[in-house]
Amino acid sequence: MSSVPDGLVELGSMPRFRHTAFVYETQDEYVSRSVAFLREGLEMDEGAVIVNTRPLLGVMREALGADAGKVAFVDLESVQTRPSRTLAAYNEVYVDLLQRAPSVRAVAGVAHGPDRDEWDEWIGFEAVLNRAFEHLPAWVVCTYDGSGLPAPVREGVLQTHPEMLTGDGWRKSGEYEDAVQVLRKTAREPEPLQGLRAIPATDDLESFQQRLATELANEGVPVAKRLDMILAGREIAANALRHGGGLSAIRLGSFDGRFVCEVIDRGGGFDDPTVGFLAPRSGVGKGLWVARQLTWRIEFFRSTSGFVARIWL
Amino acid sequence: MVAAEAGDAAARERLVEAFMPAIASIARGYPSGAGFERGELIQEGIAGLLFAARRYDFRLQTPFWAYAAFWVRKAMQELAAEVGRPVSLSDRAVRSLARIRSARREHLQTHRSEPTIKDLSRATGLTPHQVNSLLATERIPRGLEEPIDPTEETATTVGETIADPTAEEAYSGVLQRIEISEMRELASRLEEREQLVLRAHYGLGQPAQTLAQIGESLGLTAERVRQIETAALRRLRDGLARPALPEERST
Repeated sequence: MSSVPDGLVELGSMPRFRHTAFVYETQDEYVSRSVAFLREGLEMDEGAVIVNTRPLLGVMREALGADAGKVAFVDLESVQTRPSRTLAAYNEVYVDLLQRAPSVRAVAGVAHGPDRDEWDEWIGFEAVLNRAFEHLPAWVVCTYDGSGLPAPVREGVLQTHPEMLTGDGWRKSGEYEDAVQVLRKTAREPEPLQGLRAIPATDDLESFQQRLATELANEGVPVAKRLDMILAGREIAANALRHGGGLSAIRLGSFDGRFVCEVIDRGGGFDDPTVGFLAPRSGVGKGLWVARQLTWRIEFFRSTSGFVARIWL
Repeated sequence: MVAAEAGDAAARERLVEAFMPAIASIARGYPSGAGFERGELIQEGIAGLLFAARRYDFRLQTPFWAYAAFWVRKAMQELAAEVGRPVSLSDRAVRSLARIRSARREHLQTHRSEPTIKDLSRATGLTPHQVNSLLATERIPRGLEEPIDPTEETATTVGETIADPTAEEAYSGVLQRIEISEMRELASRLEEREQLVLRAHYGLGQPAQTLAQIGESLGLTAERVRQIETAALRRLRDGLARPALPEERST
């Protein structure tokens, strides 16, 4: 009789990028399995990184002893605020380590809050991680504290990780789903926004940026954030000009305290929900990756007036 | 709240001030002398609050404080768990701990009340700091998830209205730490002249100027200023879009 738990199957051949989940029940279990995993990599001169809260980083640092000096420690609170920013932060760390090592092992804690809608957002993050770094020689083990882990999150873990670390070792998840499928299930429909005002649509990027700067000032957006929006807006508008047949409308204003800018183009748009979440590489552009990093959220959807990119600062 | 997330330091201060009584109240739910100071707990609580502010989405169904309280409690819990986890003690420490336990039993029998750290220090000859440290190795914080008022988790309590003398210190310490670690103003990644051009052209913290006006003040043509601006924007973009790997490694 197989000892493999429900929802899991034996591993087959290994891909270049491995994305594994480890749901632990005690801190000791987390520490011992994580340390063993990282040490195995260090023995092969692989790079190593741990992402977690400061107290748990302290525990891991102590447990690693002299090996701690070879490991990068990342404070979860500084990187896990928005999925796009988390992906960008991980990309930075992996790239840094891969300058000096043939491959990387990561043990990354994932924080889920008290709100169900937010769980979906981070389940989507885990799904897109499979595609975001699929070109990298990296093995990322996402760690979840199993005590009190809500059932939908636990289910999402199985759906978004091709393999799991269990008491019986590494096992393939039988419930794994493609990133696009998960993202379509977890994404929220964009809501209609009342009160945005139209400004003249122009195909001249410089005029668009200038007008955006004026509107940001009028709306009282902090100076430190205005350049973020100008740069993100430029990327979205440039994309619309290049691929969307030009701008048909621009609407902007404030909604629930956030500056919002809608860039509407004349093209047919796209359906891929991973756009802008994939780390730039050959064949994957930079523009929307940059725009997502600089802003709170970007929604893409079709409307009667064209294909809309709604940017929330 | 949105401004606080957006990097407005004054807004963050207001946010922390507004929720400090609630944070202090949660901290009071932890037993004193459990191996960490009240100020440390509050620092963790503030860090939890600011993390919540950076993550909170107004579209969520959960009200902000209910959302933030989750992270505040979690941050404090992790500090307590770190301090409270099993520690290997030396033989001498084990003997000292036995003396403390014995002194506690005697005090309970004699006075029918829990001894203070001072009482235990006096009875054992250990310093209060030693007593505290040793007790921290075996204590587990109690009722961490229990609301102050079990019938209304977010209700104001008497405790929340009492000023906490350690709060101000904790608050400024954490804010400074977070401000430093999060300083990410885009323009600061550029050379001085590039910054000047972007700030002037887009009116960032000053009145906006035309390329010609900026050129005049720099002794450059408008076209040259435009080139500087374009190069600056490209540099910012490239910095943010750092390639995943050098091309020879990524294929």
